[in-house]
Amino acid sequence: MIEAHGLTKRYGEKVAVDDITFTVHPGKVTGFLGPNGAGKSTTMRLIMGLDRPTHGAVTVNGHPYEKLTSPLTEVGALLEAKAVHTGRSARNHLRALAATHGIGDKRVNEVIEMTGLQQVAKKRVGGFSLGMGQRLGIAAALLGDPKTLILDEPVNGLDPEGVLWVRNLVKYLAGEGRTIFLSSHLMSEMALTADHLIVIGKGRIITDGPVDQVIAQATSTAVRVRSPQAARLAEILAGPGVLVDSPEPELLELHGVEAPAVGEAAAREGLVLHELTPVRGSLEEAYMSLTSESVEFHSAALPHAATSDPEVTR
Amino acid sequence: MTTTPTAPSPAPAQTALAGHPHVTFARLVRSEQIKFWTVRSTVWVLGITAVVIVGLMALFAAVATNHADQIQDRAHLSVLALDPGVTFAQLAVAVLGVLTITGEYSTGMIRSSLSAAPRRTPVLWSKLLVLFVTILVVAAVAVVVALAVEWPILHARGFEMNLSDPQSQRVIVGSVLYLATIAALAYAFGALLRNSAAGLATVLGLLLVFENLFSIPWKPLSYIHPFLPSTAGGKIRMLDSQIAEQNASMHGPDFTAWQGYGVLVAWVALLLGLAIWRLKKRDA
Repeated sequence: MIEAHGLTKRYGEKVAVDDITFTVHPGKVTGFLGPNGAGKSTTMRLIMGLDRPTHGAVTVNGHPYEKLTSPLTEVGALLEAKAVHTGRSARNHLRALAATHGIGDKRVNEVIEMTGLQQVAKKRVGGFSLGMGQRLGIAAALLGDPKTLILDEPVNGLDPEGVLWVRNLVKYLAGEGRTIFLSSHLMSEMALTADHLIVIGKGRIITDGPVDQVIAQATSTAVRVRSPQAARLAEILAGPGVLVDSPEPELLELHGVEAPAVGEAAAREGLVLHELTPVRGSLEEAYMSLTSESVEFHSAALPHAATSDPEVTR
Repeated sequence: MTTTPTAPSPAPAQTALAGHPHVTFARLVRSEQIKFWTVRSTVWVLGITAVVIVGLMALFAAVATNHADQIQDRAHLSVLALDPGVTFAQLAVAVLGVLTITGEYSTGMIRSSLSAAPRRTPVLWSKLLVLFVTILVVAAVAVVVALAVEWPILHARGFEMNLSDPQSQRVIVGSVLYLATIAALAYAFGALLRNSAAGLATVLGLLLVFENLFSIPWKPLSYIHPFLPSTAGGKIRMLDSQIAEQNASMHGPDFTAWQGYGVLVAWVALLLGLAIWRLKKRDA
């Protein structure tokens, strides 16, 4: 369990995290989303006691991190930036960390095996690829068999097999009743992994809720209809609050009306339907609409780029 | 990286961690020991330190005994010959002292270290302890070997090796202590500056250039000179006659060997105090 109350961090003039309050509950995977520079990594460093908050406080399993007498068994963390001496081998890095808690070499070997590092464990970390570095970071996080796991972009640089492994691992650990706090920029991956989402932008919490709820709030469901009599159908359905779009002949995209109503209307008029599909928004769409206001580093606009809809940004 | 990792297991094995894992100071020392010996630079620097002490001792003894007629203090030649080696070796241990701590900052390792020991200051102390004791042991062994190598050289030319004399004993012990304390000074600079280049430039600049500038004959400088770390601390490895000569060249207090060493220790304490303050207050 991670609890933040009025957490604020200022670096000189710049406010990185602005008075945020949230709770990460045990037993589920909580995703932490936000654009670059939104304050995700800062928040994680504050949780880990690496940065001192300007105001507010954050506790892990009920205690401020710096008061933990056995931090590695309470919290395992993979933070964004590399945190390994490049001149040391992976195994010796893990041995040195384990030694601080009196954790034996048996557990070190176990996490090396678990993360698939056996063949490179004796090599110096300086020569590691991004993916190998990530595996080592995850191995270090798992050393103390921690109750809470904090992973900043864990799948960054991992091969598909590694991505799948991380997904299964965090779900498994959450199933055991542990607290999992995970950030990622891969929305499809997050949609598959997380149960709960906290979205942050410009240092403030934009939304905090179960994944389905976040998607439902931030996107509008549409109904896709294919019919040889599409034009007629559009006429019948037209009304206040209903938005009809026809991206191609014989195909309609309807907003503001539910699929059953479309089907019933078609039946009354005896119209033929070839397809009637409710279209749910994706997490990616939800994320784009939620964060469009707070993206700090804009990419150059492309035609048809996601448009902002201020109405749903809260 | 061309090696393919083996398939990771889907879930962690269910072996409970033995005992009750938590942080103790002894465990932090053990961790720092592992860290200290598992980077290559440690072995290199300690090797260089030992070789320089022994090698320059032998060289100096051989050269000096060849010019026996010019030596005034024949009784103390055996320990005088330690000076060049220790003077050189102090640079090596200073580099090691700086890198021991700045290496953690430059690689980001410090975040792992402080995550495992979030009270922070014990990390600094345990690292210092490992550094200090290791250099003490390595320097002591090197000095003993150097004396053993020197003995036949002196003996062959009719010089006595007088190790029962308290002054000689103080120079021998002082040389070892001086090296370990200079490493601690360098470590304290590194901990305060948190940057390898800045730390090395400061410490080597201090030892090689800065303190020498104070020997130019300008009165205000010569009042400050006795208080500088290696000028004061270096007295511990000098003969009484050399200390008297040095004191005569400077104004201000005339420190004895142990008082001078105390000044060096005070510098280390001051810099460590500042480093701890920074470690406690600031972001890692």
